[in-house]
Amino acid sequence: MAQPQGLLYSKEHEWANVEGDVATIGITDYAQGSLGDIVFVELPKVGARVDQGGNVGVVESVKAVSDLFTPLGGEVLEVNGTLEDDPSLVNREPFAGGWMFKVKVSSLDAQRANLLDAAAYEKLVAESEH
Amino acid sequence: MVNESAERHTVLFDEHRALGGRMVPFGGFSMPVQYESILKEHDAVRKRAGLFDLSHMAQYLFTGADVAAWLDELTVNKVATMKPLQARYNIFTNERGGAHDDVIIYRLDEARWMVVVNAGNAPKMLEYLTSRLPASVEFVSKHGPNANIAVQGPLSVGLLAPYVDVDVAGLKYYTCVECAVEGTPAIVARTGYTGEDGFEIFVDGEAAVRIWRALLDAGRAKGVVACGLGARDVLRLEAGMPLYGHELTEEITPVQAGLAWAVKFDKPSFVGKGPLQRQAQADQYARVVGVKSVEGPPLREGYVVKCEELPMGEIRSGAPSPTVGANVGTALVAKAAAAPGTRITVEVRSREYPAEVVALPFYKREAQR
Repeated sequence: MAQPQGLLYSKEHEWANVEGDVATIGITDYAQGSLGDIVFVELPKVGARVDQGGNVGVVESVKAVSDLFTPLGGEVLEVNGTLEDDPSLVNREPFAGGWMFKVKVSSLDAQRANLLDAAAYEKLVAESEH
Repeated sequence: MVNESAERHTVLFDEHRALGGRMVPFGGFSMPVQYESILKEHDAVRKRAGLFDLSHMAQYLFTGADVAAWLDELTVNKVATMKPLQARYNIFTNERGGAHDDVIIYRLDEARWMVVVNAGNAPKMLEYLTSRLPASVEFVSKHGPNANIAVQGPLSVGLLAPYVDVDVAGLKYYTCVECAVEGTPAIVARTGYTGEDGFEIFVDGEAAVRIWRALLDAGRAKGVVACGLGARDVLRLEAGMPLYGHELTEEITPVQAGLAWAVKFDKPSFVGKGPLQRQAQADQYARVVGVKSVEGPPLREGYVVKCEELPMGEIRSGAPSPTVGANVGTALVAKAAAAPGTRITVEVRSREYPAEVVALPFYKREAQR
């Protein structure tokens, strides 16, 4: 599928939707598809300081435990509590209801350089699938 | 990524790829861990039916008047008392009572037997069995040329019956029959590893693709799907069935694994009998128990189990169980923590989550045959 436009992507298959200095973060459709049925999500604590690319949580499917990295560093403002009761929302709506946490981004411009736009991420996914 | 070309392919490999199977190395073969979704495949088997490719498991054929006496010496369960067309669970043990492999032995007639061993143990078992083969016993391995297709789930009888030239509905649990499936000679057994009714079809690989497609096409409208190793593991765990390498190993004995029902101490002798008997009588051994946790992440192999803050053992298998509606698993724990109802904790990423020791199995189907 085409990657949603206007988002920033990491090579680890996370996305970030930046509005002002707040980024909403989740994992991509490709990531959820690779993981399979997601049954448990462990998110960072609200108020925590996280670094770009840092390991901030865990996503578990039936068979596997995968680390969750944050594409942008800053202060965690909010986490998606719905995922505690319904982690499969990440499978069903990776770019919408399955969002994971929000970060108040520090020095966005410097961090942005390390991320991909939709077209570049699309290319990365196409290569991964071969 | 592991290079898939290093793994063997079953005759159904191309079918798995065409169905979107996610191939992983397993027991020396490249096998589908899932197709669309482990949970959907699990659901199909519990409520409808699923098809499994078990061709990676080794089918060994033994012929001769001395097969029963020979196998009786190498295994814990009784072999010679099996009647023709009977199937029986059994375990090959080492001198210490640990398990070389757990298998199903099928007696085809007075002199012909089939032993189905785990894929991962096949090289070891091939060496073990052939190096001890009595001169009077003829051995043929069908590992590779033959396929094994399992049909599992409540719709199994209706799904399979049109393709078999005998009455599969009349086949009793843990029996088998030599028949024709889609016109090809086969062994059909009412055995499985899911806790549901079902069959395993042992057949020449040349016919396997045709049979696989026929069953899948016929079942599709009824919600029958191909199922991978992921669903199979959840299903067998819910049904309380051991998986070699987890509940049974060269170190974990059948007595520890809760499989004492299969250990026949009234057999005059078998490999490991003395150690197993002493272990059972002393009754102080660490043992495999069921574990259930309602909150927290899925249980996984290696997680430390504690009781009143003391380490008591570790998780051996685990999965989220859709049938139970909780995370379930097995643990090898000290006797002191083994009673059902014991409150324990499981350590996951430096955090303790509450759990409880429960009796196995987690799931038993209602209409047991």
